[in-house]
Amino acid sequence: MSRHGAHHPRSVVGKRMPLVDARRKVTGSGVYTEDIYLPNMLVARILRSTQHHARIISIDTTEAIEVPGVAAVITGAEYPNKFGVIPISKDETALATEKVVYVGDVVCAIAGSDLYAVEEALAKVKVAYEPLPAYHKPEESLEEVPEKIHPLGIGKTNIHRMVDQDFGDIEQAKRSAAITARGRFTFQGVTHGFTEPHAVVARYEVDGRLTVWTATQVPHYVHRALSEVLGIQMHRIRVVKPMVGGGFGGKSDPFPHEMAAAILSMRTGRPVKLVFDREEVFLTNHGRHPTSTRMEMTASEDGKLTGLDIEALIDGGAWSSFGVISTYYNGVLSVAPYDIPNFRYKGRRVFTNKPPSGAMRGHGAVNSRFAAETLVDMIANELGIDPIQLRLRNLIPPYTDTVNHFRITSNGIAECLEVVRKASDWDSRHGNLPYGEGLGIGCGFYISGSALPIHWDPARFPQSTVHIKIDMDGGVTVHTGAAEIGQGSDTVAAQVVAEVLGLPTSMIHVKAQDTDLAPVDLGSYSSRVTFMMGNAARRAAEQVRDELTAAAARLTGYAAELFTLEDGTAHCRSRPAVQVPYMRVLHEAIADRGALVAKGCYRSPPMGGSFKGAAAGLAPAYSFSAYVAHVRVEPQSGFVHCDKVWAAHDCGKALNPLAVEGQIEGSIHMGLGQVLSEGMRYHKGQLLNPSLLDYKIPTPFEMPDVEVFIVESDDPEGPFGAKEAGEGPLLPILPAVGNAIFDAVGVRVFDLPITPDRLLKAIEEQGAADATATSSKQGSTATGRTKRGYVAGGATDEPGPALSRNQR
Amino acid sequence: MPQSQPSFPLRLNINGDEHALLIRPYATLLDVLRDQLHLTGTKRGCDLGTCGCCTVQVEGVAVLSCLTLAAQVAGRQVTTIEGMANGDGLHPVQEAFASCGGSQCGFCTPGFIMAVSAFLESCPDPTDEQVHEALGGNLCRCTGYIKIYEAVHQAAKVLREGGVRQPLDVDHRHLIGELPPATRTDPRTHDLARLQQLHPEGKG
Amino acid sequence: MNLPPFVLHQPLTIDEAVATFAQHPGEADWLAGGTDLLPNYKWRLNAKPHVISLHRVEGLRDLTPTHIGAMVTLRELEGSAELQARLPVIPATARQVASVLLRASGTLGGNLMLENRCFYFNQSEHWRRSWEPCMKAEGDRCHVVPQQELCYATFSSDMAGTLCALDATAQLLGPQAGREVPLQELYLFDGIRRHARTPGELLIGVRLPECAPTWRTGYRKLRLRGSWDFPELGVAISIQIVDGALSRLRIVLNALEQAPRSLDSVTKPYVGGPLSDQAIEELAAASFERARPYRNTSFPPHYRRKMVPVFVRDLLRHLRDS
Repeated sequence: MSRHGAHHPRSVVGKRMPLVDARRKVTGSGVYTEDIYLPNMLVARILRSTQHHARIISIDTTEAIEVPGVAAVITGAEYPNKFGVIPISKDETALATEKVVYVGDVVCAIAGSDLYAVEEALAKVKVAYEPLPAYHKPEESLEEVPEKIHPLGIGKTNIHRMVDQDFGDIEQAKRSAAITARGRFTFQGVTHGFTEPHAVVARYEVDGRLTVWTATQVPHYVHRALSEVLGIQMHRIRVVKPMVGGGFGGKSDPFPHEMAAAILSMRTGRPVKLVFDREEVFLTNHGRHPTSTRMEMTASEDGKLTGLDIEALIDGGAWSSFGVISTYYNGVLSVAPYDIPNFRYKGRRVFTNKPPSGAMRGHGAVNSRFAAETLVDMIANELGIDPIQLRLRNLIPPYTDTVNHFRITSNGIAECLEVVRKASDWDSRHGNLPYGEGLGIGCGFYISGSALPIHWDPARFPQSTVHIKIDMDGGVTVHTGAAEIGQGSDTVAAQVVAEVLGLPTSMIHVKAQDTDLAPVDLGSYSSRVTFMMGNAARRAAEQVRDELTAAAARLTGYAAELFTLEDGTAHCRSRPAVQVPYMRVLHEAIADRGALVAKGCYRSPPMGGSFKGAAAGLAPAYSFSAYVAHVRVEPQSGFVHCDKVWAAHDCGKALNPLAVEGQIEGSIHMGLGQVLSEGMRYHKGQLLNPSLLDYKIPTPFEMPDVEVFIVESDDPEGPFGAKEAGEGPLLPILPAVGNAIFDAVGVRVFDLPITPDRLLKAIEEQGAADATATSSKQGSTATGRTKRGYVAGGATDEPGPALSRNQR
Repeated sequence: MPQSQPSFPLRLNINGDEHALLIRPYATLLDVLRDQLHLTGTKRGCDLGTCGCCTVQVEGVAVLSCLTLAAQVAGRQVTTIEGMANGDGLHPVQEAFASCGGSQCGFCTPGFIMAVSAFLESCPDPTDEQVHEALGGNLCRCTGYIKIYEAVHQAAKVLREGGVRQPLDVDHRHLIGELPPATRTDPRTHDLARLQQLHPEGKG
Repeated sequence: MNLPPFVLHQPLTIDEAVATFAQHPGEADWLAGGTDLLPNYKWRLNAKPHVISLHRVEGLRDLTPTHIGAMVTLRELEGSAELQARLPVIPATARQVASVLLRASGTLGGNLMLENRCFYFNQSEHWRRSWEPCMKAEGDRCHVVPQQELCYATFSSDMAGTLCALDATAQLLGPQAGREVPLQELYLFDGIRRHARTPGELLIGVRLPECAPTWRTGYRKLRLRGSWDFPELGVAISIQIVDGALSRLRIVLNALEQAPRSLDSVTKPYVGGPLSDQAIEELAAASFERARPYRNTSFPPHYRRKMVPVFVRDLLRHLRDS
C-alpha cells in the first residue's frame, strides 16, 4: 500500500499520458520567443568581443548610428549595475563596461528596422582595445597574475571559489586501506545543445512598464536581474516565458542579451527582438565546466569502501554564473549512493578567458560521478569481486544521513541495481563476453531540488507557490512560475491538480509563463519542479477540493469528509448511490462567493549541518539510478558502439511514466555524447567547434536500444511520492560505458570524451605493455586476447600506480 | 555592402495558398516563411543545415528551408507544418509524435514531422535501419530518439491501415455533463428533495 | 543568419549559364544544391556579388551508368535502381554523404566541386576577426602549416574518391569550348585554387567507363558520427581480378589532403600479380607511408593516418573475397 494512503487507484497520476502541450508542438502552433512578431518591432544584434582579454579604450559608434534603418546603438557604460544568478557573485553587466573577458563578450548592441541595416551598422562600430594577458589554462589561473580577469578573483589570483571539506579521517582511511584506486580524470567542457537558440523580445510601453518575452528556465531570476540592471522596480517589469526549445541548464542564468534588448526598447520606445545565431549559443555556453579531477578511493580487503578523496580544478570561463554551487557539487554529491565514512574534498573554480561555464543537466555531479564509479569498478576488479556485488555491499540505506550530513529519505538504489543486473543477464555475461564486447555498470545519485534556495530570504519566501482558479465554466486555471521547457512541468501541474480534483487533464489549463499572473517559483533547474511545484500544486488543489466537497455536503447532507472527487463526480464513500456531478458541486461552491481561488506553497524542511557550505547538495529528497551498458569496441579503430542500455531509475513515483522514460532516454543520449564524442575544443583559447557540425552530438546512428525500469521508492515528502527524473538519469551512463569498455578490451581511458583516437592509443599502449609484461593479475578471455587492467591518460602521470595494495 | 538587384515579385504556393510576394533574391525559403508570412512553425535552429528544424516539403520531398532560396521554389508546391493538420484533424505522424512522447520541447518536432511524413510516403513499412537513416538529418536533444522511433513505426502502421486522423477537439462532455440551464430553480432544494426520497436517512 | 546580398541569375540552358558567368569574371559563383555554398555565404566566406543558379538549367540531370549529370541529387543517386544493379558503389557512397536531408538538395556536381574545409576557414566572420585570418579567407597565412605559400584546407567530397577510383571523366563546358578531363586530374593540391578549371568552366557531369561495372569497387569513410560528418578519411578502391591476377588496381586516398590522391605508383607493381594476403599488407603499409593528413579536422592527423592501412586492408580483403 502506498505510503500516501490512497483510498482508490490513481486516475491520472501514474498513467502514461502525452504532454498537455503536445498538440501545440506537433502542429507547430506553439509560440516560442522567436515566433513573436509585434507591430512596429525592431530587430537587434550584438557586437561581440574579438579579444580574449582586453581593456576597452573606446567604442566609436558615430558611423553606426548613421546607417539608414538603425534606431539605437548602446554600449555598456550607461548600465554599470551588476547582475548574476548567485547573489554573492554578481559579476556581469548588460554590456561590457571597462574590459572584455572572452571572445564573444557583449560589447555593443544595435537595433534597427532590418537585419541588414543592423549588421551594416555593427560592422561600422570601431572598438579600440588594449590587449591584456589572456589566461586559458585553469592551472595558470591558480597563480598570482598582474591583471585579474575580474575583481571576484581571490587575492591576486583568478581563483573564483575554494571549497575544502573534510569528514571522518581520510588519511587514516588511506593508511589502513587494503587497496587504493586513484586517477586523474580530465573532462572537456560540454554544452547543452538545445535546439532553440536564445531569443528575447522586449517591449517598453508608454505607461512605463517593460515586458520581456524570453527563452528562459527561470523567469524569476530574469525578473530580478532586469530590475537590478535597469534600476526599475520589479513590479514595473513583466517577464513572459513563451514555449522554450530546451534548456538543460543553459537558459537558467539571466543573460546580457536580455538586458540589451530591454535597454534598446526603452531607448526607442519600440518592441525589440534579438535572436542568437548558433555560434552565439556556443559562445554564451554556461555548459559543464572543463574539469580536471584527482580522485582516490580506498577499500578494505572484503570490498568495503572506506574513503574518498577528491581534488577538482574546474574551469569557470569568464563569469561566475552558478559557479559557487558548481564548485561544491563537484565534490559533495560524490559520496552517496555509497556509505563511505571518510571523505575529503578540495575544489577550486577558476576564471579563464573562455566562454563561461555554468549549470548543465546533472550540474556539478556528472564528472565526479564518472571518476568515482570508475574507481569503484577498479577496486572490484582488483579484489575479484563482481562490480555490482561490491556496490550492493556499500550502499547507503534509506532514511539515514551521509557522512556529509545529507538527509537521505526514500532510496531505491538496491532495487535499481538488482533490476538491471537481472535484465542484462549480468551474472553470466559480465567478464565472459568475447574480446571487443563488454558490459559495464554505473550508478547515479542526484538532488531532487535544492533545499536552500539561491536567494536566501530571511522573509522565508516559499520556493514554489501555485494559484488555482475555477470559475463557473468549470475549467481549472493553474498559475505557476515553474517553467515548462519541454521537460513536462505543465503536465506535472495538470496531472497533480487533475488527480486531486478528479478531472481530466484537458480541463486543467496551466499558465506558467507570466510573472504578472503567476506566483513566484524558483524555476526549472536543480530538478526541483516536480517535487516543489508538485507539492505546491497539490496543496492548492486540496484546498479547492475541500471547497467542492463542502459544497457536495451542502447539496446532499452528507459530511464533506465522505466525498471523493473522481471522474468529474463527487462520490459519497459511504453511499455509492449518492453522486453529484462536478459542475453541480462547483456551482454550489461558487454561489454567492464567486470563482474558487486557492493557493498552495512549498518550502523545504530545515536540514543539514552547520559547517561552511553545509547547504550545498542538501535536498528534500534524492534520486538514485543504476544502468548497465553493453558496448562493442572495434579494436582496430577504437570506435565504441553502445548498442544497449538497461536503465533503472528511482524517481519515487512516476507521475507520468511516459515522460519519465523520455527523460531517461534523453539523458542517455546526452550522456553518451559527453562520454564518447562531445567536447568544446579550444586552440589558444579560441573555441574551434562552435557549430552543430563540429560539436559532435550523437545522431540516431549512435543511439542504443534502451530498456527503462522505473523504480518507485515512494518518497514520503514528494507529491504522490514523486522525486526527480530530469538530471539524475544522466549520471550513470558515462561510467557504465567507461566500465563496459574496460570489460570489452581491458582498457580504461580517464580523459573524456573517449574518442576513437584516444581509445585506440590506449589499446595500442596496452598491447605494448602486454608484450613486455612479465606477469598479469587478470585472466584472459576466451579469445586469448588479454583483458588486463590498463589505464590510459592522466592516471599514468600520477605518483604511484593507479591501483596499489598495501602489504600487510 | 555590394549592391544587389532589388526585390522581385514571386508567387509561392504554400500549403495550397497562393502568395504574391516581393522578395529579396537572396532570401531563403525559411526567411520568407518566417519573416514575411509568419508561418512560424518552421523553426530556425542552426541556419546551416545541421539541425533539420527548418525542414519543409517541396513537391513532397523533405528539404532544408534554410539552405533553399525562396526564388527556387516558385511555382512548386511547398508544404510546411502548418499544412499538415487540416479540418479532419492531426496527420497520423503528428498524432503519433504526440501520443508516443516523440516531442518534448517541441522545437525540433515540426522538422521531424515534415521529414518523417515525406519518408513514409516512399517507405511505408520501414525497417529500424531505414528509420535511423531517415531521421539522420534531424537533431533532437530531448528524447534520445527512442520515442521518435516508436512514433514513426506507429504512424507507419496507421498510414498503412488507411490513415485515420484523430479529431483536433477533445470532448469531455460525458465526464462533466452540460452546464445547468440558467433558469433552473435552486439546485440545492431540487437535489435535496430528490436525495431525501432516495435516502430517507439523509439529514436534509 | 542572413545571406549576403547578391544578384541571382536563373538561366534556363547550359549555354545561357556559361554566358552569364562569362559576363561577371571573378564575380560569380555557381549554385547547385546550395548545401555547401550557402553556409559559406552565410559565414561571408568569399561570397560573390553574382550567383548563377543551375536549378532551371535543362540537361544537367541525366542519370545512366555511363553518364551522370551534375545536377543529379545525391538522393537520386542513392535511389537509382540502375546504379544499384550495375555500380552499387555509387549509391553506397552517396548514402554516406552528410545527412539524408542535405542529400535531398545536394548534387553530384556540388559534391565534386565542394569547397575545401579547415577548422580555421569554416568559421563565422566574427570568429575570423577574432583570429588572424587565414589565406583562404581574408588573410595571408596558414594556421595549419604556418607559412604563406600554400593552403592546406582538406578536400572533403565523398563522391570524388569513389569516382576517381572508377576512372570517371569530368565533362566541362567553358565560354569557348567543352572538354573532358580525367576527374583525378581536375583536382589540385592547393586548398584555394582546388581545381584546374579555367574561369567560367561549368562541370556539367561525369562520364563513367563502360567497363566500370565489371570492376569491384568499394568506399570506406572515416567519421565520428553516422550522419552529418564530412569524411576525415575516405578510401576508395577499385580492382579487377582475372584468372587470379590483378588486372586493375586503383587506390584513392581522399579527405586527407587538399585533393584526392590516387596511389598509382604504389599500386602499379601489383598489377598482374595475385592479391595475396602479403600483397594486401604491403599495400596497406605503402598507403600509410603516402598518407599526409593535416591538423585541420576533428580527428587528430596521426589517427587519420593510422586508419589508412586499416581501411585499405579491410577494403582490399572485402573486394577480393566478395
